[in-house]
Amino acid sequence: MSRSFPHRSAAAATAALALLALTACAAPAGGPSTNAAAGDPVEGGTLVYLEHQPHTTLYPPSAGFYPNGGIVNNVFDRLVWQDPETLELKPWIATDWEVNADATEYTFNLRDGVTFSDGSDLNAEVVAKNFDLYGLGDAERGLTVSEAINNYERSEVVDDDTVTFHFSAPAPGFLQATSTNNSGLLSESTLDFTLEQFAPGNSAEVIGSGPFTITAEEIGATLTLTARDDYDWAPPDRAHQGRAYLDAVQINVTPEDSVRIGALLSGQADYVRYVEAQDEAQVEGAGFTIYAPQTNGVNNALSLRFRDGILADIRVRQALTAGVDRQEVVDTIYSEKYPLATSVLSQGALGYVDTAEAFAYDPDKAEQLLDEAGWTVGSDGIREKDGEQLTLVVNEAGPQPRSFEALTLISQQLKKLGVDLQILKADAGTAAEAIRDADQVQINHSMVARADLDVIKSQFFSQNRNALLNLDYDDQSIGDPKLEELLQAVASEPDADARIADSQAVQQYLAEQAYVIPLFEEPQVYGTATNVQGVTFESVARPSFYEVWLSD
Amino acid sequence: MRYLVRRAGQAVVVLLVAFTGAFLLLQALPGDALMIKYENPELGLSPQQIADVRERFGVDTPLYAQYVHTLLGFVAGDFGYSLQTGTPVRQLLGEAVPHTLILGGIALVVAVLIAAGIAFLSSVPRFGWIRDALRSLPPLMVSIPTFWFGIMLVQVVSFQLGWVSVIAPGPIEGLILPVITLAVPLSAPLAQILVRSIDDVAAQPFVTVVRARGASPSWILRRNVAKNAILPTLTMAGLLLGDLIGGAVLTETVFARPGIGRITEQSVTNQDTPVLLAIVVLAAAAFVVVNLIVDLLYPLLDPRLASRVKEGATA
Repeated sequence: MSRSFPHRSAAAATAALALLALTACAAPAGGPSTNAAAGDPVEGGTLVYLEHQPHTTLYPPSAGFYPNGGIVNNVFDRLVWQDPETLELKPWIATDWEVNADATEYTFNLRDGVTFSDGSDLNAEVVAKNFDLYGLGDAERGLTVSEAINNYERSEVVDDDTVTFHFSAPAPGFLQATSTNNSGLLSESTLDFTLEQFAPGNSAEVIGSGPFTITAEEIGATLTLTARDDYDWAPPDRAHQGRAYLDAVQINVTPEDSVRIGALLSGQADYVRYVEAQDEAQVEGAGFTIYAPQTNGVNNALSLRFRDGILADIRVRQALTAGVDRQEVVDTIYSEKYPLATSVLSQGALGYVDTAEAFAYDPDKAEQLLDEAGWTVGSDGIREKDGEQLTLVVNEAGPQPRSFEALTLISQQLKKLGVDLQILKADAGTAAEAIRDADQVQINHSMVARADLDVIKSQFFSQNRNALLNLDYDDQSIGDPKLEELLQAVASEPDADARIADSQAVQQYLAEQAYVIPLFEEPQVYGTATNVQGVTFESVARPSFYEVWLSD
Repeated sequence: MRYLVRRAGQAVVVLLVAFTGAFLLLQALPGDALMIKYENPELGLSPQQIADVRERFGVDTPLYAQYVHTLLGFVAGDFGYSLQTGTPVRQLLGEAVPHTLILGGIALVVAVLIAAGIAFLSSVPRFGWIRDALRSLPPLMVSIPTFWFGIMLVQVVSFQLGWVSVIAPGPIEGLILPVITLAVPLSAPLAQILVRSIDDVAAQPFVTVVRARGASPSWILRRNVAKNAILPTLTMAGLLLGDLIGGAVLTETVFARPGIGRITEQSVTNQDTPVLLAIVVLAAAAFVVVNLIVDLLYPLLDPRLASRVKEGATA
């Protein structure tokens, strides 16, 4: 039932858009407003923010899902602030820090006078307790380890405002990890919660030290964030200090795309998440602003599962890579907000290296490679070898924008080469099962957002997302030990420059082996009304409401 | 009284069958909510960490033990926790049910009014000239897709004309469009049946007798025909509950309203077994209660049925 929703909404949206075109014509023409013209920031007002989906949890390590992130990013502070432009790590709750030579010991000095919204102090003891939970997890309470924290051993409270973390092996990604949403700092009492207490329905009880607190909630429908008057510990490098400009943010879950866009254009909402590519022109045409911050991680890509019988042959993988016209996909299905990928990593990601050559579109070469590999065109136009057809299955990536449309186009492109690409469009349970089995899904469509060198390991390492199924879940065997080694180096090399080189080695290896066809650099696309100023995002495009203010 | 006890006993059996059927079917589906949530690559958990989580949720306990445990929980009013979010199912439904009850209740009343309006206007001789137009309304209304109708109402009435707000509306303002969206397709079958019954009853000999004694057509319609024509419609109203629930899923999604429909959609998407199980039992309970009410109303409308109920009770 759920799977049929997008279709119905798409059809309805098309009809609705025809109507909306009328309003668009009536609205004054002109480009997006510029913040400069808006004058000095003013305090006060409530921002109406429309979310696409309801949030699922406020437990930070599990809160990566964007609807969670929009809340967590504004309610919890972090030790370190990552500048979203430069990706540099700057002080926030930690005034300064020290890391030992092999990145197994991190010592943070904490800012004075920081309090949680329940009045309790944010001191070394609480910080230690936070990371003990995020680094070790607590299966008893259903609370999992944070993906971003590796090799965590223990914490040590040095004094009231100094805390040291010890690691069993080098953990060079830890500093950046402390800046992410997954490391949001929770109050002493909140840290005793079970998974169920972090659930929707109990959100107002979840206490952080951020510029906003959760004050009201209707499960799955609305959530109210209220500014803290006494907030005075923003990252020193941020333009604004003191309390947030807004008085409150009203988050409304509005699942239907055309309703979200229509509400923005008709003035019922100020700020919406998830403007689809085909709706951008309409929003901008009406004089509204589109923001498309990049997610700075592993690009939206197709991972070719090389342990499958057909894809084990590098010539087939190279043929598929050369046979996909990525530029056409971007131009037809997406917009200029979705730049063509030039590597497995986004250009904005740390350690990015250009490997675009490997992904050049060359249908002649593709055909030649398939011929060489022994796949000959059969009577129905599909290539065959030893009686087997060249049929591959790719999963629809539910959370990714227009996945099904993009895959449909790619399937058409490959059909010309005699490759039969089928798209698995299934309910969540079936998809979750199929995606872990190379017999069912040979090509994995996915991406990961995280602004650290570790991100590439997150996507491909056997113990993390395992996108290539290098680890076979049935027999626990590893198909390509070299890839494992290269990935592990990224996450364990203490020297920053050497780590960048390690990440580049992975990107080059993935390109050489034709393991991955990166499609585009994925943004998060938001739309705002003309009176919304001071819009900023954290390093992987989650909105920050702290500097937002409403003009006139 | 004994009739009521027997009906209550039947209700318990129906609920138990619904519970068991839903429990088994949900277990038989591929994948499960924990897999969808924790084996989702988004969390990047290692196989060992996933195994720990699964153990905590007791996935590996034998099916019969899970069944007994869940059933005893339901009897005690504990529906467990959502596997997707961890919210207690009782809280989830407790917050949602009133929203859907209000929406569905008002929509049903409006639907009945629309149906009655169409049926009676098209039967009153004075409106003979638009009779055909009125009678062609129900087939039109029944074929309007709820989803499309809702979207159109939002776009035109709210976004274009600005008459009502869809985002954060007042309590009454927020009901206007959803009620219309839900009531129109709901009223169509009611109107169709009512029109048919009026025609049937009007053709009965006793109507001819009444007319022969000098009663005016509108007097006949009000006093004789309507009362007799309402019975089949009432039966239909009891069956419409399913449409009402289905319509609520779409209406609540389009209008971003909290309610059972929204929860159903989300828990289907995430295969959230405990929530789905509770929704199935709740829906079954609603069917039982509504049909019981309908059955109890029959004898009040038709004395002949009252004696039959009594006979049935003593038999």
